[in-house]
Amino acid sequence: MSSRSDAEVIGRSLGEPEAFGLIYDRHAATLLRFLGRRVGARVAEGLVGELFRIAFERRKTFDASRATALPWLYGIGSNLLLKHRRDEARRLRAGARMAAGLEAADARASARALDARVLFPRVADAIEALPDGEREALLLFAWEELSYQGVAEALELPIGTVRSRLNRARARLRELLDAKGKDRVRAQ
Amino acid sequence: MKPVDLARKLRREAAFEPAALERGRAVLMVAIRREAEPTRRPTIVPQVPYQDISAALSFLERAFGFREIPTARFVSADGELLHATVEFGNSLVGVGGQGHHGAISPMSGGVESQFISVEVDDVDAHYRRAVAAGARVADELRDHAWGERTYWALDLEGHRWRFGQPTRQHS
Repeated sequence: MSSRSDAEVIGRSLGEPEAFGLIYDRHAATLLRFLGRRVGARVAEGLVGELFRIAFERRKTFDASRATALPWLYGIGSNLLLKHRRDEARRLRAGARMAAGLEAADARASARALDARVLFPRVADAIEALPDGEREALLLFAWEELSYQGVAEALELPIGTVRSRLNRARARLRELLDAKGKDRVRAQ
Repeated sequence: MKPVDLARKLRREAAFEPAALERGRAVLMVAIRREAEPTRRPTIVPQVPYQDISAALSFLERAFGFREIPTARFVSADGELLHATVEFGNSLVGVGGQGHHGAISPMSGGVESQFISVEVDDVDAHYRRAVAAGARVADELRDHAWGERTYWALDLEGHRWRFGQPTRQHS
């Protein structure tokens, strides 16, 4: 049983609903961490069961040609997160403060510490301001380390669309870096 | 620094309560049960007592092809399995510990006061599977004049089961 692919298990669960429990056992911890990174542990704990309940109810629509259900589950999670944008924004800003602190401690150089304090909150704001589709693609790629193909499966998009969304998201973040560079020049 | 690496630096891990996964699982199980139950409501459910519930479940699956319904497990606070339910076709059998409700296993009581009769699709294949899994055959596989092919088996604690398949259409 444990050697069966996700697609086989989900196929079996159409006639034997309990079989879907194995999909939970395989992937719930990964999805719980994913949700936690985005909205924090407290909200994530409430969402993980909901995510799998939705997946269970939609299991007929799972594309059986996919060996692993993980991107599909990420996609359902991404949709759930849209309802929790405020929790996510708060967490992203808190993450930015922390990252700035770490960067400062790493560098032990006041110039870099200052840069980090300015830079990370702005990166957080920029990610926060991305259109939903671009933010989702960027975070699935950068945080969850899904491949382009994985992101495409999660968001149910052609791979070319994923590539262009990621390119746009990167371009926006790069503008920010350039703008920061100019600020520094002006300050000197 | 690359924009993606910059985004990566803002990734933050959350610390979970250990029970978080269990609670999530419970939410899923409610949904599964809601879907599974309407198709599985026999009016009469035999309850069969065993000395060792886990061994019985594993035997019943291996030998007879009965499948446990994971959502129907009843476990005590300290983790002991108290009762389980297996399904086969449109029927259910309860698998419990002996001693509760006055019922005991033939392994302790020495008496098989009743048997359970099960209709299967392919009694020959079922017979081979049961024998391979160590079921004791109490009555060999054979045809009956009334149009049925049956065999009888004793499970690992001596409960008596009858498996049959109709051999001709009634006209």
